[in-house]
Amino acid sequence: MSAAEIKTRLTEGAAVIYPGAYLNQLRGERIESVCQEFLDRGIRRIVVNFQETELINSIGISILLGVIESVNNARGALVLSNLNDSNRELFEMLGLGSHVEMAATEELALLSLSEETVGSAT
Amino acid sequence: MTDLNQRRILSRLFYGEFSDRESEIEAVFDLIVRASDDFDSPTLIGLLLGLPRVGKSELLRNCFDRLFNENGGAAPFFYALRRSRLASEEFARDCFSQFLSQFVAFRRNDPQLIEAADQPLSIIHRAALPEDYSSVKQVIDSFTKAAEDNKPAMMVRLALSAPALFAEHAQLNALVMMDNCELIIGTDLDSAISGTLGSGPMRSPRASYALTGLRRPLIKLIPPDQELFSRIKVINIERTKDAVVEKFTRMRAERLGVETSDSTIELMSQQLDCDFFYASAIIDAAASGGVSLKTFIEFERVYTAEVLTGRIGHYLDASLREAAVLPRDGRAALEAIALINEAGCPVPLDAVAERMGIPADQAEALLDRLHSRELIDVNYGFVSPSGDPVLSDYVRARHRSEIAGAPRPIAGQELLGEKLKHSYRLMMSRFNRGIESQLVQLLSRFDFQSVPASLFDQDEYEKRYRGVSRVQVRRGLDDEKDRVRLPQIVFVHDLGGGEQPGVNWRLFAASGFEGGIYTEANEVLWVIALINSKEPLDVESLGRIDQRLEPSIRSKVGKSGVLSHAVRWYVSKEGFSAIAAERLANAHAYRSSYSHLDLLQDYLTRLALSGATRPASEFELVIPIEDEAELIAARTAEQIARAADFDQESINQIKTALIEACINAAEHSDSPDRKIHQRFAIDEDKLIITVSNRGKIFGKANGQSAPSVRSSKNSRGRGLRIIRALMDQVEFERTDEGARLVMTKYFKRPSNQ
Repeated sequence: MSAAEIKTRLTEGAAVIYPGAYLNQLRGERIESVCQEFLDRGIRRIVVNFQETELINSIGISILLGVIESVNNARGALVLSNLNDSNRELFEMLGLGSHVEMAATEELALLSLSEETVGSAT
Repeated sequence: MTDLNQRRILSRLFYGEFSDRESEIEAVFDLIVRASDDFDSPTLIGLLLGLPRVGKSELLRNCFDRLFNENGGAAPFFYALRRSRLASEEFARDCFSQFLSQFVAFRRNDPQLIEAADQPLSIIHRAALPEDYSSVKQVIDSFTKAAEDNKPAMMVRLALSAPALFAEHAQLNALVMMDNCELIIGTDLDSAISGTLGSGPMRSPRASYALTGLRRPLIKLIPPDQELFSRIKVINIERTKDAVVEKFTRMRAERLGVETSDSTIELMSQQLDCDFFYASAIIDAAASGGVSLKTFIEFERVYTAEVLTGRIGHYLDASLREAAVLPRDGRAALEAIALINEAGCPVPLDAVAERMGIPADQAEALLDRLHSRELIDVNYGFVSPSGDPVLSDYVRARHRSEIAGAPRPIAGQELLGEKLKHSYRLMMSRFNRGIESQLVQLLSRFDFQSVPASLFDQDEYEKRYRGVSRVQVRRGLDDEKDRVRLPQIVFVHDLGGGEQPGVNWRLFAASGFEGGIYTEANEVLWVIALINSKEPLDVESLGRIDQRLEPSIRSKVGKSGVLSHAVRWYVSKEGFSAIAAERLANAHAYRSSYSHLDLLQDYLTRLALSGATRPASEFELVIPIEDEAELIAARTAEQIARAADFDQESINQIKTALIEACINAAEHSDSPDRKIHQRFAIDEDKLIITVSNRGKIFGKANGQSAPSVRSSKNSRGRGLRIIRALMDQVEFERTDEGARLVMTKYFKRPSNQ
């Protein structure tokens, strides 16, 4: 696995993306690409699990904002989960809280998505 | 050639022999400064108070020499009252001619002219500078007229005002120093001088006065005048330290060619109670007798001879005679001092008076005179020894020969034997005093520091560090996880000592606060036993020490009613026996040895120094501009911040901010080497990170240099926002090579520490 490679998994019609230890431009662009693939495949429920993410930089956040926008445009839903206090604080400071839902755990994120009504692909 | 600044004029000690008195000298000179600062302010009177022979006279003589040699804006005047010149007229003539000759000598910068004081006034006058000639003549004429008119009181007033008048004409300040001032008591001068302290000639804007003499009568000289008290500045002259007297003794011995050894020098300072006069007398006697002072017995022989028949004996004879003029009073005085010395504790005044063999009223008057001369202490109806060990030896030997009837040589032999037997014990007490003062000094440095726990647990210390070098011990202490949080000690009280064969101890109570909060709940008492024993402390001796310790703890804790707890700390030179150690461990008492005191002192010093030198703790890092190199910077910052005791939240914030700074630097770098330079400086209360690039200004996005389509204006703006939000201070600075970003994060220590 290359440094920029990120893990993903599919579960109950939702996709979970794991950005890894450091969300920077490289990994952000990879998430962007993977996410687009899921959307293309009709998977519109997406969780980004930050369990292993220690650091996030501003470029990574910019790209993540773009991803959120893409999912919303595709009438999908995206939830961030397992953010540590520092990262959550960072996101809130930059106003991401108003753009995206944040859940404490991956399970809660998936549960939240299962209740969410997402649009069908056209 | 003699250095003018070192010319000995009135000083009796040689250059270098007089030391460790700079703060007192400054206090005396401060009288002049304060007088010259404000001419409308009333004249200041400095009262130099201290024990007999503590060096008050020499200090004033030294002040005179310094001002004379400086030859600046303050003219020095010195007069030592003499018993033979206490009649008003004689005093006035003597004092006036001394002051006149000193002024003329000062103006001519010629100390030899001082010796002209016993010449007729007209002769001294002839030596005056031309510009002073007429003003000096006016003062002399006034004085001469008062003498011709047979007005001794006027003569006294003119003599005392002469320095101010001379100084006034010469546009100088005058420092008038007078010694042996207690001699005026009971003479006509008493009212003349005391009266003029408040008004008249001694009240001049040009002159300030420094008076000294025997402190007890000196204090009685001051009239109960509130305004006068506000003008008096008391300058306390404390006893000098061992090291100063020892240095003086060595220098004098070397100058006079007397061979000494370190141990006899130390013994001398102990036995002579750090007294310059006694030490000089011994060295001078050894020099004139051509004997060395290399061994204890050589010193004790010289000492015994000096006390019985030498300069020390004559001096003490004279001191006693001053208090006890009549022969029967002399005997009564000896009886009284011998009795209280023998008792070793305060004796009721009535009991002492009864023993003296003279009528009670005369006995009490004699005791008062002895008290004035500090040959005894009389307080609240009790009489105690003066604390002068040499006086005690002198009285014992004289009592034996003159009252008990022992022939003088036998009394001398007895004294010599006693001193020899006592010398080892004296040296041990010196050692003990050294440790005691080290402990008290150490306690005063307790200030909420966290120190290795093994320094308070001798068993644990032995387990960890037995056979280990001192350097390794220091490293080990730094790494120890178990810690003892020290209180802040605000007051140390000596609870006294005790001894039994092979063991002696001293107890201390140290009061303070724990946890950095000054509340009653945080008040703590550390009770410390400092134990000097030849063997590890056994349980029986421990029991005896505890018998003395427990009442102190109970009284302190019980009496306050708010003091929550007491900590027991036993410091034993040779450690503890296994049973004693177990007993102390069960009682949760701290246990240390003398060597632990050194280590603790060393540890606290290093802690203090590490704080003081923190700005020098700087680290530099250079990273290449390439993918994820900023992570290396973040990891480095993490290590530094952790070592500096930042909390985790702050560490994460520092890392995130630094990553943004690196990205920013990379984005704007024009540097051909493609590197980012960083410096981390740990200050007392903050971490300062400087990130430098060789290129354009930070934060000014420039599309042409952007390495990535993603480093848009928006994300850069976001990066700066992050830096500003997470760090406490952010500054951009231009440099010759480019720009730098300086970010500061202040310590926010975890609340549970």
